[in-house]
Amino acid sequence: MEADHTIWIEKYRPLRLADIVGQDEIVQRLQSYVKEGSMPHLLFTGSAGVGKTTAAIALARGFFGDSWHMNFRELNASDERGIDVVRNQIKQFARISPLEGASFKILFLDEADALTPDAQAALRRTMENYAHTCRFILSCNYSSKIIDPIQSRCAIYRFAPLSPQAVKEELHRIAKREGLRVSPEAQEAIVYVAQGDMRRAINALQGAAILSPTIEENMIYAITSTARPDEVEALLICATGGDFEGAEALLECLLSERGIAPTELLNQCYRALVHRKMEGALKVAFIDAIGETDYRLSEGANSDIQMKALLARFVLHTRQE
Amino acid sequence: MDWTEKYRPRHIRDLVGNIGVLQTMVSWAQSWSPKDRPLILYGKPGTGKTSAAHALAGDMGWDIIELNASDQRTKAALEKIAGSSALTAPLSGAEHKLIVLDEVDNLHGTADRGGAKALLDIIKKTQQPMILIANILQDVPAELRSRCEPLQFRSIQARSLIPRLRFICAAEHLQCSDTLLEEVSTRAEGDVRAAITMLQAAAIGKKVLTPQDLSSSSKDERSTIFDLIGAVFRGRSHEELVRQAQATGETPERIVQWLEGSVGLLPDYQRVAQAYRSLRRADLYLGRTIRRQYYLLWRYAQAIAVIGMAEAAQKQGIHARISPPTRWQRIGSARRQRAIRGDLLHRLSSRYHIPERVLREEYLTLFSLLVEHAPEHYVLELDLDADALNLFLHDRERSVMIVKKVKEEGAAREKMATSRAPRKDTSPGGTQSTLF
Repeated sequence: MEADHTIWIEKYRPLRLADIVGQDEIVQRLQSYVKEGSMPHLLFTGSAGVGKTTAAIALARGFFGDSWHMNFRELNASDERGIDVVRNQIKQFARISPLEGASFKILFLDEADALTPDAQAALRRTMENYAHTCRFILSCNYSSKIIDPIQSRCAIYRFAPLSPQAVKEELHRIAKREGLRVSPEAQEAIVYVAQGDMRRAINALQGAAILSPTIEENMIYAITSTARPDEVEALLICATGGDFEGAEALLECLLSERGIAPTELLNQCYRALVHRKMEGALKVAFIDAIGETDYRLSEGANSDIQMKALLARFVLHTRQE
Repeated sequence: MDWTEKYRPRHIRDLVGNIGVLQTMVSWAQSWSPKDRPLILYGKPGTGKTSAAHALAGDMGWDIIELNASDQRTKAALEKIAGSSALTAPLSGAEHKLIVLDEVDNLHGTADRGGAKALLDIIKKTQQPMILIANILQDVPAELRSRCEPLQFRSIQARSLIPRLRFICAAEHLQCSDTLLEEVSTRAEGDVRAAITMLQAAAIGKKVLTPQDLSSSSKDERSTIFDLIGAVFRGRSHEELVRQAQATGETPERIVQWLEGSVGLLPDYQRVAQAYRSLRRADLYLGRTIRRQYYLLWRYAQAIAVIGMAEAAQKQGIHARISPPTRWQRIGSARRQRAIRGDLLHRLSSRYHIPERVLREEYLTLFSLLVEHAPEHYVLELDLDADALNLFLHDRERSVMIVKKVKEEGAAREKMATSRAPRKDTSPGGTQSTLF
């Protein structure tokens, strides 16, 4: 058997719309486009790893079959974001007639919100003038960064972050194909680190699978350098209970023994805090303290000092209340 | 086939709304002579500007040449395409050629270098009818604006839009209830194209449309931000608020601005102060995010703003209308003022050979006094429009009157000049007539 060096997010990228998990309503609508052989321009919005690119490619496969490559072009707007891309590359592709007897071709513009407003303005008439030969699928994180005239030319689809169910469903599919055994706790752990991002989930799974075909909870936290949620909780309980020494010891353990990056720990503390049941004003103060620490670390401050100072602030805030 | 193209109106009479403006266009076309000023059609997206220009050419039997932002519009490119056609008669035997310059508020600084100047030259020389199109009139270079007749296209009202949608449904053999069409036209917010796109997106593969079919294909309007603010004031759980803030698809910056806009809904000053304690921190993170290009910080801005605001609101709910932040209107008008001032400085600078910086620092008071004393002279000398003149006079009504008067006098003088020397090139505008 050839050793598996391919990256799983490519290997297991769904080829057909029907295989996309967790975006049922969107998938259903896109399937009806394929059935009808026609579609309007589309705008996909949503955070990373929720299926925007996968949906665009699956749509192209649905329309054009195996020769989809001939009539599909992917451009990443954050690589080439100026007005010249629109006037040259995009127009060039759009104006050539579809090949292999297809009735139109598809241009997929990833991260379209990175296009400057000028470039977006140049795009709008291109979208109309070549509508008979070319459909556009734009994808972006924030739809409010796309100018109104373009929004009004597109049918807009919002991809929500994936639910735990959807992530697990995909894990099952891959685990079965790869002959893996993933314990229920490990599944929960993957859902936790993924935060609704399928790419992150699959990467965690592949990382763990390289170590062993039987995957346990701790392997997931280790491979992703993430603290366990209960460890984060313990840290917060110590700090909010006014026990600075206890919190400091836990912090020491997580950072130096477990090798968790300070910014990752901040991220986890932030997530835990948002979900935590506590008084609102105090919560805002805590989140602010985390943000401040994150900012200082990004400025190159010493992480040991800043992280301990953060705990000290937690303790202080709690005592003041 | 894209329905917005398939059902693009072919005749003026097929257009929806803006009847007065369309009539003006038709009479402009019917009586057009090379002396007439070009039209500039402006207004929000999807109100029919481009369609109107094309339909007009069709109804008049004119040829049409269109240049838009997807074409490069440097001086050379413009002169090659529009310049030669502006001077020559059409080859096809049509009476005229309509030159349509779309998106003139989007001339690009470097890629379209010299474009505005070239357009101006073409407008001056043209022997063919021209129509310019823009979304925002103030973003069109002032020297272009002052040589054109502006016509505003307004948003299309739902009741004018519905019959058009019903026609399309019938043509597509699509069953569609009136309530659904009403829903579509309300969500489109006066944008015909958005309405038709919405209809098509929902209709593909269907014979009967129900309101549920619309759900994931609406124009991405701002309704969700209203939901968010409602949830903040009702005091939903913190994680729900953060999740909802992400789901709006708005940047944290805009969310903070909306929240600030709703501070006025808080019942007393203590709450207002409490809200601002959170908003000012959120604002700081926004600034840091942009300055450091470190986008992870955005989430702190967002969480602090929504949770902090929810704390201040204390689950009291909202008892008034939520409206877009007033600051946006101020930003809009401040930007307009800056554009007018910048344009004026530019003109003074090139006319009197003084650098703009020096003008701004040392000469503006002097010019204000001079203009105050002889406004007519300077309107003529600098080709000022009412907006620019008003910067000196601070009296809108008077500025408009003076500019109008000067224009009328200029037109009368020109008429006399042409009747005496009929072959002389008719170049509109005051500067030339005094210089030559």
